Amino acid sequence: MLLPLILIPLAAALVCLLIDNRRVYEYATVLSCAAISAVALFIAWSALSGGMTTQPGGAIYADALSAFMIVVITLLSLATSVYSVEYMGSELEHGHIDKKAHRYYYVLYNLFILTMLLVPIADNLAVMWMAVEGTTLVSALLVGLYRKRSSVEAAWKYIILCTVGITFALLGTFIFYYASSGASGGGRGALEWTALLAMAPRLNPATVRLGFILVVVGYGTKAGLAPVHNWLPDAHSEAPTPISALLSGILLNCAFYGILRFAVIARASLGHPFVRDMMFLFGISSVVVASIFMLIQRNAKRLLAYSSIEHMGIIALSFGVGGPFGFYAALLHILNHAIGKPLMFFVTGRIKGRYDTVESEQVAGVMKTMPLVGAVGFVGIMALAGAPPFGMFISEFLMLKALAAGSHWVVMGVFLAAGGMVFYGLLRSFGGMFLGAPMSPAPVGQSMPAHSTASARIPLPVGADVNRRLSARRFRGLLSGIVMFIMAGALLVLGLYIPGPMDRLITLSAGIIGR
Amino acid sequence: MPKAWVVVYSITDFITVGMLLTVVAMNSLKRMESFIRAYTVNSLLLAALMAVSAFYLDAAHLYIAAAVTLASKGVAIPLLLKKVVRELKITHEVEPNINTPLALVISSVLVVIVYSSLSKGIFIEGFTENTLKVSISIILISLFIMITRKKAVTQVIGLLLMENGLFLAGFSLTYGMSTIIELGVVFDVLMGAIILGVFLSQIKKTFIDLDLDKLTTLKG
Repeated sequence: MLLPLILIPLAAALVCLLIDNRRVYEYATVLSCAAISAVALFIAWSALSGGMTTQPGGAIYADALSAFMIVVITLLSLATSVYSVEYMGSELEHGHIDKKAHRYYYVLYNLFILTMLLVPIADNLAVMWMAVEGTTLVSALLVGLYRKRSSVEAAWKYIILCTVGITFALLGTFIFYYASSGASGGGRGALEWTALLAMAPRLNPATVRLGFILVVVGYGTKAGLAPVHNWLPDAHSEAPTPISALLSGILLNCAFYGILRFAVIARASLGHPFVRDMMFLFGISSVVVASIFMLIQRNAKRLLAYSSIEHMGIIALSFGVGGPFGFYAALLHILNHAIGKPLMFFVTGRIKGRYDTVESEQVAGVMKTMPLVGAVGFVGIMALAGAPPFGMFISEFLMLKALAAGSHWVVMGVFLAAGGMVFYGLLRSFGGMFLGAPMSPAPVGQSMPAHSTASARIPLPVGADVNRRLSARRFRGLLSGIVMFIMAGALLVLGLYIPGPMDRLITLSAGIIGR
Repeated sequence: MPKAWVVVYSITDFITVGMLLTVVAMNSLKRMESFIRAYTVNSLLLAALMAVSAFYLDAAHLYIAAAVTLASKGVAIPLLLKKVVRELKITHEVEPNINTPLALVISSVLVVIVYSSLSKGIFIEGFTENTLKVSISIILISLFIMITRKKAVTQVIGLLLMENGLFLAGFSLTYGMSTIIELGVVFDVLMGAIILGVFLSQIKKTFIDLDLDKLTTLKG
């Protein structure tokens, strides 16, 4: 059942590449994402009944942890594809991108999903590395889609820094291979995760330590862990908004998943304290750096990008502290963040559509001009800030419980102080945007003066065509609105109780990373 | 020790040291053409090393790895780089941020640090011991070149050199992975080079100049 995860997005990408019809490639993308979501749920179901999904021929497989990641990736890609149709459609209609770039976006979108799905199902750690490098290459093209100065600069920084970083991850992977070849008596080593785990206690600890440090630095660059996070705020703020959502919500988790897999082997070889100290080092620095920079951000998308660094830090801390609560909290936080962050990017995208800016000082009164978006955004911000009764409160609370149980008081103190700053930073910026009197907002649907020359190139619809186009636009807006409501609802539900199957899937996955 | 192995030791050392020298020499190169030529020589030496090892280890998959390295890094990527440089009319001068003697000294210090520290960290024996140390040195010096040079093209070449060092390290640690993985990694590198080429022309279009000093709109 794993092959469809690769074949369906590939087919969709081909359709987008070959058929130059907007309706066709938009539908193909959404349908492909819906299909892989269905496959993902099936894989999760078989993982719940204790099975491992394997593909004849080896190389790809899925245990509970992979199934968890696959579910997160596919469901969020489905939500984002629905939102993309609305957002990129209006970008096209306002002339911010041309028709070619619009189609090109969907080709790359499907390839991006494909490369991300390859990460959790690769058994071979070198194949996993290729998939992660593939995500960088594809998403760099998406980050630079607008071809403005700032977006080209962000894409350049992104591809150079992430490729350099990930080079170290491959070196670390090679060193793990070397360790395994030593453990098997100088013969051929192994790169399959399952094989490496089986021989983990026999690996040379000094070699594993060196390899693990390189892997954490390498994948940590991609996962946005401070101090190797410099590419992240630029790429996330310059990318088209749906891509920002995918980068933040899923891609960072995919990179962190790489660290998780290696960490399981490193724990079996070196014991937990070494892994814990590495995770604490990167986790604390991420949380602190992010909380400081969040206080000075003026751009809502950059603010959300720094918030991602903070949340990756929280995941690293939860995983580092370990124990039954810590591992569970790390995975639950991955899920919460994968819902909450894309939701907030969708909200900022809506705000940009209305105000033509996401600079927080130039936006006010969203609650009055767009009550529903404002309400959803309010839920998202409270969730990201870690306030009850939303999902992230639960995962952060579990982490604090695990920290207290392990008497890591210093880590706990630093986290709480930084958490307070994050709360203030988020609420000050977004509170100002949501509340207050609206500053003479432009009416919906009217293109902004800055783009009037660009939009003049689009033939103006006449007569019945206007109604048809308007209703199509309204339909797209309605669909993505429903998606946003579902996501906000999911954040609330996860804060009150975790549905049975999801709870079991996370418990099983926590059993794998806590082995 | 059989006589044949002494020959292997000296040949591999000769080639790897050659690779190290080309990378160190890049610190003193100013013309873009010679910069690309140095990268080509480096890649050719890497392919030669693989071919020599394939011969002595009698491993067929290493011949494939050598051929793939030769075709991609030795031929395709240099051609691509030359094309980009020609089309974008990049001025030949590559002015580094720090002067040449200092850069050479720092590079040598990096090599010394690698040689003195690596013997403690990882225990590797056989004819590739020296190769691993050289490869880590190449990775670090390439990073150093990327930091000190201003032109976007030089950064790309630094990145590619770093990947050569990575391949050398991978080779010394694994005696060549399976062919599929070798091909996959080379494919990624090749795609990366092409995409970077695309971005180079976009930077040229949007910024008029390929000086990275100009890429400073995004801060904080």
